[in-house]
Amino acid sequence: MQPEVLEKEIRDIIAQVIEKDPQEVLPEARFYEDLGVDSMMALEILAAIEKKYKIAIPEEKLAELRTLKETVGVARQYLNEKEG
Amino acid sequence: MYDILQIQEILPQRFPFLLIDRVIELEPGKKVVAVKNVTINEQFFSGHFPGKPVMPGVLIIEAMAQSSIMLFCEKAKELHHTKYTYYLGSAKVRFRRPVTPGDQLKITVIPRKMISTLAIVEAKVEVGDNLVAEGELSFAAKAEV
Repeated sequence: MQPEVLEKEIRDIIAQVIEKDPQEVLPEARFYEDLGVDSMMALEILAAIEKKYKIAIPEEKLAELRTLKETVGVARQYLNEKEG
Repeated sequence: MYDILQIQEILPQRFPFLLIDRVIELEPGKKVVAVKNVTINEQFFSGHFPGKPVMPGVLIIEAMAQSSIMLFCEKAKELHHTKYTYYLGSAKVRFRRPVTPGDQLKITVIPRKMISTLAIVEAKVEVGDNLVAEGELSFAAKAEV
């Protein structure tokens, strides 16, 4: 998958969960401080990504989802593993 | 499978806010099926509504949430001395039919994503063969310190 496509799709997922405009979800915007994400929303983001891409991301990775950029990185890592 | 006394060992809720009577199927972390018998003696029927008893939808959501807590039952038992408080984070529920006295709610909950302290679950409530409500809840389990 093209990196821009993955980033756009994940930005849309995040925007939907946190009920914000996708344009507000900048690559480096911090979820907790800048976007008002809480731990429950973070889990919802994780679950939505797992469902969309049919991947399993372990619980420990939740703490690494702090920005769109990092989230895309984690998703890419598990997508790559899946695709071998 | 779990009678009301066993349920009370896990759920912190009590009268008049304990909204499941029995758990008929339980795979911890995987699936719960619970039952709630609805009678005219429920307190809320006197006001909701006079002359036309209908169970409030928010209480159906509460029954779903209490059933969901049973998913955490093994952990709750294991840490018997730790008190847990459960917080509902969100609920997206659609109601299909009204619930009235005499109905037996069968509440089925399957987790969509569950980690040690948080869960997102899918729940449905049936009366006989009829679906009365379905939706998605998210909640957190917090140990009291």
